[in-house]
Amino acid sequence: MQQHEIHHFLERYFEANECTVEARHPSYMKIQLTVELDKLLMNRPFYWHYLEKTGGVPNPLALTLVTGQQTPPDGGGEFIHFGSPRLHQIFASTKKLGSFIRMYESITQHSGQNIALHPWLCVNMKTSYQCDRKKDRISSYGIHLITGRMVESFHDKLSNLPLTRKIPDFCYTLSPFIRPISGLKRIEALVEQEIRQDDHSWAEDAKTRWREDEELLDRFYEDEEEKPEYYHVEKEALRTQYEPKINVDIINGGLFYLSETVMS
Amino acid sequence: MNLNINFNREWHDEFIKRMDDDGPWTKWELYNLALEAEKNLSIPDFLGLQAPGHLPQLTFLPHQLEVAKTVIEKMNGKAILADEVGLGKTIEAGLILKEYMIRGLAKKVLILVPASLVLQWTGELNSKFFIPAVAQKKSYVWEQCEVVVSSIDTAKRQPHRDIVLNQDYDIIVIDEAHKLKNKNTKNYEFVQHLKKKFCLLLTATPVQNRVEEIFNLVSLLKPGHLGNQENFDKDFRNDKHSLKNEEKLKQLVNKVMVRNRREETGLKWPKRFVKTIPITLSETERNLYSSISDLKELPQFSRSKFSVLTLQREVCSSREACFMTLKNMLQKDPNSEHTIVPIMKKIEEVTQNSKAMKTLELVQSINDKVIIFTEYRATQLYLQWYLQQHGISSVPFRGGFKRSKKDYMTHLFKNHAQVLIATEAGGEGINLQFCQHIINYDLPWNPMRIEQRIGRIHRIGQKGDVHIYNFATENTIEERILNLLYNKINLFESVIGELDEILAKFELKNIETYISDIMLNSESEGEMKVKMDNLASLINLGGGIKKKGWEEHATARDSSFS
Repeated sequence: MQQHEIHHFLERYFEANECTVEARHPSYMKIQLTVELDKLLMNRPFYWHYLEKTGGVPNPLALTLVTGQQTPPDGGGEFIHFGSPRLHQIFASTKKLGSFIRMYESITQHSGQNIALHPWLCVNMKTSYQCDRKKDRISSYGIHLITGRMVESFHDKLSNLPLTRKIPDFCYTLSPFIRPISGLKRIEALVEQEIRQDDHSWAEDAKTRWREDEELLDRFYEDEEEKPEYYHVEKEALRTQYEPKINVDIINGGLFYLSETVMS
Repeated sequence: MNLNINFNREWHDEFIKRMDDDGPWTKWELYNLALEAEKNLSIPDFLGLQAPGHLPQLTFLPHQLEVAKTVIEKMNGKAILADEVGLGKTIEAGLILKEYMIRGLAKKVLILVPASLVLQWTGELNSKFFIPAVAQKKSYVWEQCEVVVSSIDTAKRQPHRDIVLNQDYDIIVIDEAHKLKNKNTKNYEFVQHLKKKFCLLLTATPVQNRVEEIFNLVSLLKPGHLGNQENFDKDFRNDKHSLKNEEKLKQLVNKVMVRNRREETGLKWPKRFVKTIPITLSETERNLYSSISDLKELPQFSRSKFSVLTLQREVCSSREACFMTLKNMLQKDPNSEHTIVPIMKKIEEVTQNSKAMKTLELVQSINDKVIIFTEYRATQLYLQWYLQQHGISSVPFRGGFKRSKKDYMTHLFKNHAQVLIATEAGGEGINLQFCQHIINYDLPWNPMRIEQRIGRIHRIGQKGDVHIYNFATENTIEERILNLLYNKINLFESVIGELDEILAKFELKNIETYISDIMLNSESEGEMKVKMDNLASLINLGGGIKKKGWEEHATARDSSFS
């Protein structure tokens, strides 16, 4: 992530969370936090606890973040780069703030006819391939909750559509035939099938490395009838180090009500 | 193939709940930000390093990046990091640790370092690597904090021991790991029982003088890599000290050890300029030296010739240093009054310190930061007083100082004083690379200690050339040791790593005693010369001390004694 990308991300983040941007500069920004964001980012639970007990007027902090060479005229400010703990804290907070959604396709209707919006369930997922090494893959799937049709790269397709939080005028939603929980299971089944078809030489290689180390360990204790406790500790450690695992996590997702043909 | 796939379904329950409650639902922009954040944090490939992108304020040297890649991709995260002093082993360890943490392969981390370095490690991991390391102070820290720095002596003691051995660590880092070469120690046994996935052992001196030491160290890291004790002995051991199939052993060891040498890193090291400065004793000083040298002939000194040698060396330093020793001798043995008191009288007659005068002259002409090394506390105090008399401020430095005091003195030297007067190299982790001049006011008889002195300023981060001034008092043992040994082995132009190995190889660990022995027990100047020559050629033969990179400066050496 380049510095200007970080800058842009932060601006969008604070605006989306309804904070006032008090100073705007290509190289820094000063943000008046809301109460919610102060609680989330500033790590001062005692203050908020005290305030709630006494009923005082909340006074959320302001935050100055620097992303470029120039610092604000009044000095100070936290320098934010890709590794800085503050950015990672903000990244982590987006997971709390942006996990569950429901949106409608924004349709402007002139004919006066009512339009049906079809229910889709979308999930964005992270698949981690892990042994003593690790790789992630992000994917996105949508399932039509009436027909059961599944669509890959669903999020990218959504990004090209006008979406709104309120159901547009002259539109109505169709009720799903497939329950969302079943939809999630069907997506899981598809993901699992796709994973099984992947190339897994990485896992084979990890097992070879694992076996090699285990053979060494066995050789080290080959003369001992009664293996010491340490042998078992080490053997277990080798398992946790090398054993190939695939973890699938959902990043976020939700319901999208879309017109009939938009995903075809 | 049989794959272990795990779906995390935590999200499902919360989603169903929000369906039932009809919200709350997030905004489209926040939804997108959450996905973008995750995309930025995801690891695109099994190979390669992510950490440098997270640490834009650090500049890694090419060999450091290479080490990190090798350890992770070729050694599967179990390695002995054995770069020569000053190449940045700590940085390499931090980089590897950071990489594993970014990849989510390490959460629970234990870092075992010498007690004096706990705070430094904790500080550097936090400030340079943004790794939230915590120095172990209370016993709850073991369980509640993810990255803990501690001394091995604390960790292995109860009540800590049981708690620590119960943790499942992802990575264990051990600094100064050569202290674990003996498998019959409590430390070794403790480390052996730790539960660990990845492990980094840091040491500057991996090659030891006993064959089983390398076996023990590797077996701690990767048991069986060198076989078990029995087949290791069969395959590689000749006798107690020597090896067979050395090439094969080396190959095996290199699979778990990375070792960069200064000359191989391709780094532009600062140049070393070495100058020997002859000191001529004044008449009274010469009288004193002669009368001490004569003591050797006295029968009551026949069994403590060593103390005569010490006195001789002290006279070359300062009359104060000499006086302290004489006073102690007198206290121990009041009968020696008739020999010692006349010498004390001679000390009183000395009116000047020729070496100190030369020091003053040199410090004034350098007109920049200077470190003066002396062997004696009394000389240190005297020099500080003497320089003060001439308007030069200095700070003292001793090995016995606490860590915080060392840091404070370094700070004072950097910002407020021209001169630092040290009796010892200052120990591990003291960096004085903002200074470019060293005066070896008197010389230790252990070449390692000289290299440690120079190593404090001749290291990465030194921007300019390094100037080394060796004082040699004419017609004394000081001059003799310089000419007979140090100049023959190119000591001042070479580097410690190799010397270290050579001395270990020949079991010359106690080289100081060995040299004293030559000095004392040689019947004649000729015999002494021959013995010293032998020592020098032994060192040069044992792989020699190469002086690559510095050849062109060898001429810069003063040749007034050759």
